[in-house]
Amino acid sequence: MDVMGYRADRESLVDALKSVYSLVAILVLWEVVGQLGLVHHYFLPPLSEVIDRFVVLTVSGQMLNAAVLTLQRAFIGLAIAAVFGVIVGILCARNAFVEWFFDPLIKIGYPVPIISLIPVFMLWFGIGDISKIIMVAVGTFWPVAVNARNSTRQVDKNLVWSARMMGTSDRRLLWRVILPAASPGILTGIQIAMPLSLIITFVFEMVAGGGGLGALEIAGVRSFRSEQVYAAIIAIMLIGIALDRLLRYARERLLAWT
Amino acid sequence: MDGSISISNLEKVYGEGAERTKAIEDLSFDIEGGEFVSVVGPSGCGKSTLLYLIAGFLERSSGDISVDGTSVSAPGTDRGVVFQDYALFPWKTVKENVLYGLEEAGVDGEEADATAQRFIDMMDLDGFEGKYPKELSGGMKQRVALARTLAYDPKILLMDEPFGALDQPLREQLQDRLLDIWEDLGKTVVFITHDVEEAVYLSERVLIMTRHPGTKKDVTEVNLDHSQTREEVITSQAFTDTKNAVWKELREETKSEVEP
Amino acid sequence: MATSTLWEAERVPAPFDRVARFAFDWLPLLIVALLWSFVSGAIVPEAILPAPLAVGAKMWELIVTGTVLPHLFISLVRVFLGLALSVVVGVALGVGMAQSDRLEDFFDILLALTYPIPKTALVPLAILWLNVGTKTAVLIVFLACLLPIILNANNAAEDVDQNLLWSAKMMGTDGRRLLWKVVFPATIPEIMTGVRQAMPIAFIALVSAELIASNQGIGYLILTSGQLGNYPTMFANIVIISAVAFAAVRGFEELRERVIVWT
Repeated sequence: MDVMGYRADRESLVDALKSVYSLVAILVLWEVVGQLGLVHHYFLPPLSEVIDRFVVLTVSGQMLNAAVLTLQRAFIGLAIAAVFGVIVGILCARNAFVEWFFDPLIKIGYPVPIISLIPVFMLWFGIGDISKIIMVAVGTFWPVAVNARNSTRQVDKNLVWSARMMGTSDRRLLWRVILPAASPGILTGIQIAMPLSLIITFVFEMVAGGGGLGALEIAGVRSFRSEQVYAAIIAIMLIGIALDRLLRYARERLLAWT
Repeated sequence: MDGSISISNLEKVYGEGAERTKAIEDLSFDIEGGEFVSVVGPSGCGKSTLLYLIAGFLERSSGDISVDGTSVSAPGTDRGVVFQDYALFPWKTVKENVLYGLEEAGVDGEEADATAQRFIDMMDLDGFEGKYPKELSGGMKQRVALARTLAYDPKILLMDEPFGALDQPLREQLQDRLLDIWEDLGKTVVFITHDVEEAVYLSERVLIMTRHPGTKKDVTEVNLDHSQTREEVITSQAFTDTKNAVWKELREETKSEVEP
Repeated sequence: MATSTLWEAERVPAPFDRVARFAFDWLPLLIVALLWSFVSGAIVPEAILPAPLAVGAKMWELIVTGTVLPHLFISLVRVFLGLALSVVVGVALGVGMAQSDRLEDFFDILLALTYPIPKTALVPLAILWLNVGTKTAVLIVFLACLLPIILNANNAAEDVDQNLLWSAKMMGTDGRRLLWKVVFPATIPEIMTGVRQAMPIAFIALVSAELIASNQGIGYLILTSGQLGNYPTMFANIVIISAVAFAAVRGFEELRERVIVWT
């Protein structure tokens, strides 16, 4: 099974059909059940109505606005975390004092549900964009820093020695050897942090409002428009798939040598 | 300035207190500039440690290591190392790997390029300049490693079981290549191996180390006529005698390890 | 030589004695706590950042008077129920998919499509179906942990040493017995690692659900105490759930050590 890179090696049409039949079956079932009213309309509107609502929201620009808001918050927060996380991670691997200081913080930070801090951030920074961005940055800092630290530590010492014997000074070593060697691990950290950035943003939006896909979705519940809830979920799914592909593609290009 | 190495009363100790272990004990040995010397010994005797101490990767606990009269304690461009696991920079192509040492030495673009190409050709790698290490076989990777280390012209070559991971035919090919290069370029070579035949075939002298803690057990002179073919050398009496002599000493060391 | 020839930190010399060592390792936390104490009141209003002692005292009060206990209990029930369900279903599905091509064909695309959806995004949908409350929370925890566990179990099952399987077959074990006697036991270590990795996810899912869709539980308490301005209580509850999550993961790691030794 290859969920991460959904198999593209299926060639014949039959094979292709075989791989999607379950999805098609479910979609068809959805529409049929919905149309027949086998389940109350509120719980499961027919697929066609969901798609309809999706289109309406897209055309009116609401879907796009919401998506842009959510993505902005998640990305900016993630970008900040990436910069600081990599710096701190590398420092931890390099400097004994930084490592000593951050080690227990990392151990504690790992299982702590960062989501529980949302009310704190609401208190400190309000319910606007800034608050969400900061929260994402704080939440995604840990996976990035930990991965950066570990992959820097695990750089093959023979590579370092080779560079040294060929005349590379301490200062140049970071840029010429350590960073490139650690880059797969660092990128993995960012790949792990990305879904987390979205989760934090969604939950924050659902709790505090302020636009975005999370807010759009919960509004659907509150206004009894279940098609909106489903439509928002589909949008989220599409965005999630797109981002996943994007990151995977970026990885292939940047790390062609792995 | 001929690449001679002088080791006196070298000691290397690891750990402290209860975990203190001595890897190398009171080792003294001299290598002339341009010599090809092998180091053999039972597992754990400290052969690699010795090499890394000469290379300057490890700090010695006491004693001295000097190259051309000057004490060394840090890595330097006069001593190039070839590792058993190749240690190629995976994010660089073959050409970029070979260029590395030249870049660090400040050699300018065109000249560096030409030099790199020369060594790529010397190691029969032409056509593979743009490949990444992940696309290469073990034998090719080791050739890249050699090209890379030779390109910036260190006086001394330190080799840590470089052919250990390769299969026999490939190993023999590279051994002969190495001998050719050594004769051409006149470098001092210190070659670590656990393969006695390899040691005798390649070197002028073989340093035999004792088991842990390692020190010099004996040094065997090798006198082979390399103008002959490989076949002839291997089957010559001189080869067999030398090989057996070294084997005998090694067996003593290993035996004393096994028996109480 | 002043610096190491490697590009890494020389370890800070640490005391060997176990107690001193423990204190030494965790000293940074004390420093952070002291900093926190200083900042609270002096630089930042006490209201926004209660001093650690105040938070600690509040925690103690909440526990001792029992006000937090029913909520803590329900939160724990939810997370463990959700996790347990996801393990049962996830392992069955993951291992099943490794053994059966038909199962794999059926679920492959469904999993690929649902993988990029953060399961907390499904909370409103869960509210739609199940209203606010425990069912929703358990469902979200279940869904959040399901995929990682399926993937993990699937990998574990596929990695089972071929030689083990052949040995068993040679000795007459086949079919379903093979599954029970060889595949499952061989995959337990890896699966336990997967569960351990799913635990932080479970807690995130739990708190998410409780912040949005619940009238009980620690998440709910955190939210409401914040809304009411009881900041010491809010912080206290955050510490409580964090400590519980930490303890749960550590506890499971201990458990894993013991089980693996016996297997």
